[in-house]
Amino acid sequence: MDKLLNVSGSPHVHSGESVKKIMWSVVLALVPAFLVSVFYFGLPVLILTVVSVGCCVLFEYLIQRFLMKVEPSINDGSAVVTGMLLAFNVPANLPIWMIVVGAIVAIGIAKMSFGGLGRNIFNPALVARVFMLIAFPVAMTTWPVATPVWGFADAVTGPTPLGLLKEGATVAGAMGDAHMPSYVNMLVGQMGGSFGEVSAIALLIGAAFLMWKRIISWHIPVAFLLTVFVFAGIFWLIDPTHYANPFFHLLTGGLILGAFFMATDMVTSPVSNRGMLVFGCGCGLLTIIIRLFGAYPEGVSFSILIMNSLVPLINKGFKPKTYAK
Amino acid sequence: MSQKKEASLLRLVVVLTSIALVAGLALTGVYALTKERIDNAQKAKKELALNLVLPDFKGTITDTTIVPEGEKEGLLVHLAKSDDGTLYGAAIETYTKKAFDGRFDLMVGFAADGSIINTEVIDASETPGLGDKINKTKSDFAKQFNGQDPATYKLSVKKDGGDVDAITAATISSRAYCDAVQRAYNVFMNVKEVTHE
Amino acid sequence: MSKWNILTKGFFKENPSLILVLGTCPTLAVTTSVNNALGMGAATTFVLLMSNIIISLLKNVIPDKVRIPCYIVIIATFVSMVDLLIQGFAPALSASLGVFIPLIVVNCIVLGRAEAFASKNGVWDSILDGLGMGIGFTISLVLIAAVREILGAGAFMGHQFIPSDYNILIFVLAPGAFIVFGFIMALVRHILNKVEAKRKAKLTVQK
Repeated sequence: MDKLLNVSGSPHVHSGESVKKIMWSVVLALVPAFLVSVFYFGLPVLILTVVSVGCCVLFEYLIQRFLMKVEPSINDGSAVVTGMLLAFNVPANLPIWMIVVGAIVAIGIAKMSFGGLGRNIFNPALVARVFMLIAFPVAMTTWPVATPVWGFADAVTGPTPLGLLKEGATVAGAMGDAHMPSYVNMLVGQMGGSFGEVSAIALLIGAAFLMWKRIISWHIPVAFLLTVFVFAGIFWLIDPTHYANPFFHLLTGGLILGAFFMATDMVTSPVSNRGMLVFGCGCGLLTIIIRLFGAYPEGVSFSILIMNSLVPLINKGFKPKTYAK
Repeated sequence: MSQKKEASLLRLVVVLTSIALVAGLALTGVYALTKERIDNAQKAKKELALNLVLPDFKGTITDTTIVPEGEKEGLLVHLAKSDDGTLYGAAIETYTKKAFDGRFDLMVGFAADGSIINTEVIDASETPGLGDKINKTKSDFAKQFNGQDPATYKLSVKKDGGDVDAITAATISSRAYCDAVQRAYNVFMNVKEVTHE
Repeated sequence: MSKWNILTKGFFKENPSLILVLGTCPTLAVTTSVNNALGMGAATTFVLLMSNIIISLLKNVIPDKVRIPCYIVIIATFVSMVDLLIQGFAPALSASLGVFIPLIVVNCIVLGRAEAFASKNGVWDSILDGLGMGIGFTISLVLIAAVREILGAGAFMGHQFIPSDYNILIFVLAPGAFIVFGFIMALVRHILNKVEAKRKAKLTVQK
């Protein structure tokens, strides 16, 4: 009797969720941002995304089938999500072979060498992104200019808003630069950057869909964005000639993509609500530190990866409450 | 250990001392054997750099150290004078602390009129594939300084309103290079004034 | 243990850096090119061999209490000699290996073999052990360096054959060292396990 009763905290109601359903919802949520990118950067976006997703699925299949010798689980859609997020994190004019390397790193190094879905410590797409950033520094930081025309966006390159800020002598100088987009353009996505991160509105529509479906909770993104806003605000109040205003920091770089789609990855984020808040705050703080004082203009990927490594500790410190206790 | 015996304090001291003594003697031997070669190698390295930045010079070179105004570290100036006593130019060992990796060292050769003859990287550890393009073997970036006169050629990257084409995706290293060359130029102008008086 | 075994155990079965995970600092730091790896491997092998010889000869003279200081003095002497010789006769290698030559003093492999082998065995066995471990260390350095140089710099022993546009720079930087080190370690262990399993299967069949 004792054995039978002693399982885990009730209630035991199946939510009807499955890995498959969650992953395909995430894919659906990424579609608006994808369409905006195709609009601004043209055909290369489509090609890169297809190659990235295709390679991720292919490598997952090959590794599971021939190296791990287990039944391939490519139908669960997790490789598709990784592939899409990976593609979203690169400039639209990236050479194709580089994203193939990225897919090998994401699936082979970041996911499968830890044992596959559910066992990876770090978000695979982010590992691959950081790997590529260090491996191909020139290609990964040469951004095509967003122009709403159909065709190959390979001719003109321009800097990202954060890059302008890092390399400019003064904030006023950087803001006055001809390449600096207006806030409206930052919202809709007409600015330089990795192609999935440019449009704040499209990303927020996808994020709202995921929250409505209860696939992601508000804790991590809100804590993440709020921390960035508050700390950017503090520095801005101290010295507005040196530090950009907090709205600028919210809308530029990969912050919105990172906060809603990558930091919330179920495998690599804490399980309890309080843990998620700590995780989000940590990400925000590290992002601002790297953006303001680091060598790189953008710090979202690094900060999420660093916080990923702290997840086991956070889980230990903030255990989920047992039901009705 | 093969033998388990308690050794006396005296034995400990004697053994350790004699091992150290023999080691010291052996090292002295090797040092004496290699000293000349090491000195020659270092001298050859410096002469190579000097020849690169002052290629056609024949005459005497005198070394002085000049501390730029408001700075702590002095720059070594190899002042080149032709045999008839006129100033040929100078090779200046300069540095920058604005590099991506903190610091790198350059040697810059100036002609008597102040124009740059050549620049050469002495010691740098900038990121491979990015900042290391300051080396002439990796890109043509450093070659654009040759023959330019900093009096009319503004030593800063185009993004900052200067005349220098920065290395793609390595603006920080490019700026640092300009910084180092500018420092050398300031010192050279300083030296020139002194020698003319 | 046969003489042949003493020599060859360091190659793979007890490979100092891939199996015993000693000397990780030079393994990660100098493996940016095959030439560096060979230079470092040769320097370490020389120090290992010489210190093993001297320590096995002096094992009855050195009292137990001061053995570690004695070993360190002996090892440091040979390291300094190697450092001076490389500076004098191979200045280019000295420039690229830099501080890692003097750091052989604190390489766990050298002190580890002195303590674990040379202080308990005769001079001939110690020579074989030192040579074997040194060669094993060199093998692992060259393996890692070959992968890193080919992928990261598109070259092998300084001869570039992949244009620099197609280099994956991360492999010549520190993170690439860790990734390659981990995967080669896993691969070598996997192969050793397979070999071992085959040997056992053969034995049971013979029985």
